[in-house]
Amino acid sequence: MKKKFLAVALFVILFVTLFLLQFDFGQEVRPQEQTKTPQLEKSPEKIVPSPQNIKQATAIYVFVAWMWLAIIILIYFLRLKIKEVDRLHRLGYFSGEKK
Amino acid sequence: MGVQSWLEERSGVSAIINFLKKKTVPQHKHSIWYYTGSSILLFFAIQVITGFVLAFYYRPTLEEANKSVARIMTEVPLGWIIRSIHSWSASFMIALVFIHLIAIWLIKSYRQQRELTWMSGVFLLVVSLAFGFTGYLLPWDDLSLSATKVGTDIPRSIPVIGVWITKLLRGGEDVTADTLTRFFSFHVSILPVFIFLLLAVHVYLIQKQGMSLPLAFESKKEKVEELPFWPNFVYREMIVWLLLLGVLVSLAIFFPPSLEKKADLMAPAPEGIKPEWYFLFLFQTLKIFPAKILFINGDTLAVLLIVLVGILFFFLPLIDNKPAGKKGKILTIIACVFIAYAVAMTVWSLLE
Repeated sequence: MKKKFLAVALFVILFVTLFLLQFDFGQEVRPQEQTKTPQLEKSPEKIVPSPQNIKQATAIYVFVAWMWLAIIILIYFLRLKIKEVDRLHRLGYFSGEKK
Repeated sequence: MGVQSWLEERSGVSAIINFLKKKTVPQHKHSIWYYTGSSILLFFAIQVITGFVLAFYYRPTLEEANKSVARIMTEVPLGWIIRSIHSWSASFMIALVFIHLIAIWLIKSYRQQRELTWMSGVFLLVVSLAFGFTGYLLPWDDLSLSATKVGTDIPRSIPVIGVWITKLLRGGEDVTADTLTRFFSFHVSILPVFIFLLLAVHVYLIQKQGMSLPLAFESKKEKVEELPFWPNFVYREMIVWLLLLGVLVSLAIFFPPSLEKKADLMAPAPEGIKPEWYFLFLFQTLKIFPAKILFINGDTLAVLLIVLVGILFFFLPLIDNKPAGKKGKILTIIACVFIAYAVAMTVWSLLE
């Protein structure tokens, strides 16, 4: 078992060092000069995303407020559901169903 | 014949439903860590969905990459929010993978019969980091180009195979348009295949071995209270998901990532290049190593040390192969030292 493992390990090491390292896997197919051409075209400066106007800003704040309100309400209902299913679990309702 | 029975005859889906109905989750003071696994899946799903949307508009070419991201942020309706959610959810996912692994390390859940679960988890961390690394270049701005140059240059210090790895990552000697297409290909096709396979294996192994218990319960064979997975545990998970979703959307809206100007391959590297936060502790480790230690190159020694620590981390279940209930104080201390080191290095790098 140990010999087999050593043979496989040796094969993998030899395969990587002697065979795979010779391959470039399609690297440098394109001459470097071609991709290193100076980019003359002007590009826009740093873009910091933010609402464009007061209407968009208000819409975003209203959305965030509604989202948190919805989350709080959903959590409230989920807590009620948890209390109920825990009570059913203590009564053995789910284990009874499994039998 | 009803749709349900038609589906059942062909897929046998009821076996999975029955399994989920019978599945239970232990309840104890460390149960909070069980929620990190499902939260990782939640953020992964968000990554996939927002990634699809971004891929509709993104163009992985030297001329178009930066322009297409600028278009997503300025012209596409809600494009900047989608990009921001994609970016923030990547950070959340990686942070949770780190927390999940460290929690498992501390409560020693990797022992006996869960070795493969741990190893697939470490692979998932590596793939998640690879997602972050490849995704960082895609906007093709000044910072991403410089950070990728630094990042892909690091393996060069490894003897024998280092140069080959750097060339394989870059698609040549330097970071060029070929690197961009290569990283895009990794990001949207190769890494997703790996992560789906690893997730499938990881989730299967967790179901096969069952949820792990803390040391105290494993050793004393105490009876632990168990909750049914459906619906008791799923409802609890839903609360965590809702809160995480709220935080994610709020952060994405109020702190969206900016886009620097288009990268210029001929321009010198800008000041203060830093990788994403999850690579900062490694980046700072490489920085603090002196140029030469005795007669060995400092960079080579640092990279080899990091690789060695990574290998030890991967084989942790084989190193610490005590029975499940036994304590492992030394490994707990090592874990705490590692956390303190990673946090200290990250803070140091941020303050610099």
